[in-house]
Amino acid sequence: MKQCSVCRVQVKGKWETCPLCRAALNRQEKEGSRDPYPEVPLRFNKQRVTRWLMLISLLILAVYFVVDFFFLAQAGIWRLVLFGIMSMWLVMLVILRKKRNIAKGIVYLLVSLSLLMLYLDHSQGQMDWSVSYAIPIICSASLAAMFIALKVVRLSVGDYVLYLLLATLMGFVPAIFLGIGWAENALPSLISISMSCAMLVYVLLRHGREIQNQLIKRLDV
Amino acid sequence: MRRSLREGEKMPEKNRWVRLDNASNIFLAARNDTDTKVFRLSARVAGPVKPAVLQKALDKTFEQYVLYHSVLRRGIFWYYLEQSELKPKVQLETAPPCAQIYHYDRRELLFRVLYHADRIHLEVFHALSDGTGAMGFFQDLLTEYLSLRYPEVYGNVDSLDSERLQKQMEDSFAHYFRKTRQLNFAEAAQSSLQTVTKVGKKAAHWFKSTYSPVPVGRKKNVYRVRGEKTPDNRMHAIELEMPVKEVLALSRKEKVSLTIYLTALFVEATQQTAPPSATPRTITVSVPVNLRQFFPSRTSRNFFSTTHLAYTYGEKKDTLSHVCQTFQDQLQRQISPDSLETRLNRLISYELNPLARIVIRPLKDVLLKVINYFNNRNTSLAMSNLGRVELPQPVDGYVEQVYFQTAAVRPQFCMISHGEHLTVTFTSPFVETAIQQRFVRMLTERGVSVTVAANKVTEEELEGKR
Repeated sequence: MKQCSVCRVQVKGKWETCPLCRAALNRQEKEGSRDPYPEVPLRFNKQRVTRWLMLISLLILAVYFVVDFFFLAQAGIWRLVLFGIMSMWLVMLVILRKKRNIAKGIVYLLVSLSLLMLYLDHSQGQMDWSVSYAIPIICSASLAAMFIALKVVRLSVGDYVLYLLLATLMGFVPAIFLGIGWAENALPSLISISMSCAMLVYVLLRHGREIQNQLIKRLDV
Repeated sequence: MRRSLREGEKMPEKNRWVRLDNASNIFLAARNDTDTKVFRLSARVAGPVKPAVLQKALDKTFEQYVLYHSVLRRGIFWYYLEQSELKPKVQLETAPPCAQIYHYDRRELLFRVLYHADRIHLEVFHALSDGTGAMGFFQDLLTEYLSLRYPEVYGNVDSLDSERLQKQMEDSFAHYFRKTRQLNFAEAAQSSLQTVTKVGKKAAHWFKSTYSPVPVGRKKNVYRVRGEKTPDNRMHAIELEMPVKEVLALSRKEKVSLTIYLTALFVEATQQTAPPSATPRTITVSVPVNLRQFFPSRTSRNFFSTTHLAYTYGEKKDTLSHVCQTFQDQLQRQISPDSLETRLNRLISYELNPLARIVIRPLKDVLLKVINYFNNRNTSLAMSNLGRVELPQPVDGYVEQVYFQTAAVRPQFCMISHGEHLTVTFTSPFVETAIQQRFVRMLTERGVSVTVAANKVTEEELEGKR
């Protein structure tokens, strides 16, 4: 073992200097003692990562402001581009965060994308295409996607059944749009509603018991 | 898919999950990238660890501890523990100590068993168990491993003796688990609060109360240690080994316990290395107390309470003896039956408050985070003592030393002793080592022989420039 004459301690492991005071160590024996802590390479260097992220963010902001200032007429396009990038980050975030439960991931995507569409449509003036087409199509597509995904991915019933139910119920939202009279074209909404009706019957008949169990568990006060 | 799951189910659904008690929720709310709320028990055994044997020992031990089969899930109002079919695998240590165990949205066991050279580590997520609770598992694991690794020791004992040995062994490490042999998951995973007597139940409220901001030093200038965080949020561990006799002699000279003596030394070291302050400065230490010593509980779940010791420098003559005496008095007051009872009664209504129960979990998390934030502001340091560990003979002879450490948001030390040895492991989120250095020198100046080991945390250290 090596020794630090300043701290008056023995030091284990492969150290050239004292881990406490940084003074050079005296070598007492030829072979050093085994290091009880394996050398683990840094996973990342926080300072460095933060520096890069800051730099890139600042650069993007600078470019945006310059473009916005000189090409004012095209600011709308740039807003769309930014919107696109934001959606990309959102989708990526959802996929990464929810990668372990595909049913949950689909529900999160369904909600976040629907809200994004609503926002975009609203920011362009009137709410028409999002409620008539985008949201009903996202709803029915999600339901179909979930149905197929659950056949392919191995997931326990308890883990997905509530999300399947949630996606099914979400499919009835276009009915509200229809009722209020927001939707211009009723067909996409009708498809979504009928798919949800069929799925609701299927889910309740097949997994009714499990849904009850899960609700008791998750709603325990 | 559905069929196979049904086949795998051994128990009705209602026995396979249990709500996480209030007390454990704080660990989930307070968990972050630095403070992972993971603690580690380690043992240095004779000879390099054989992974295959360790795996066998783990399989056997795991079978008996149903609580350790849990995974953590999220409900609307609470977190809950759910029994899983996952099986633990021993792993070579490749991550920094006390690395994250619970990942949001990942279905994983709440503990891990690691090995490196001649060391075996058990790392546990604090929401599952406390140090004393986990020690039961660790002792069983070690006993199992060593008796598999050195069968000749058992072979030498004749059959009658070996039977006696087995029985004796069971008794000595059965403190919290094997006496009850909990085979039912719900029973095993139940909150400690429910398994104990009425008094124990009250104690649980007391436990909860300790997470409220500390009255001590609220208006005072509580010192907070600051420093440069490690580059990848890893814990900076500095491990000290020393003969328990030498330190015990020092503490006896001050007429205080080992815990109080080392805590006082830690506070002194912090004061001596802190930048000078014009106003009186208070240094506070959070010290957990194992409630099993007060209440008849054999739970493996969390069952401890935290006391807060505080010393204000610059008011009187500040000597180590004075700090020791102050802490001794404060601790005695805080764990006296009277003070306990008063706190319990005051808090009983709080626990059953229906309003608190219907607050949704994410909101509970936020509230607990806020409480934790204010709590942190009132705490300078932390320590934890697991006491003395003994394994049944002859297995005990194959364990050289035992270590204990925990992830920490502030400089902390954990102590544990085995045989003639005392180990003190500092953990800190900071690169700096001034406090630890001062602490060690105060010990060596008083004639204690100390051996130091540390993990490498900066690029310079890892590249061998230091």
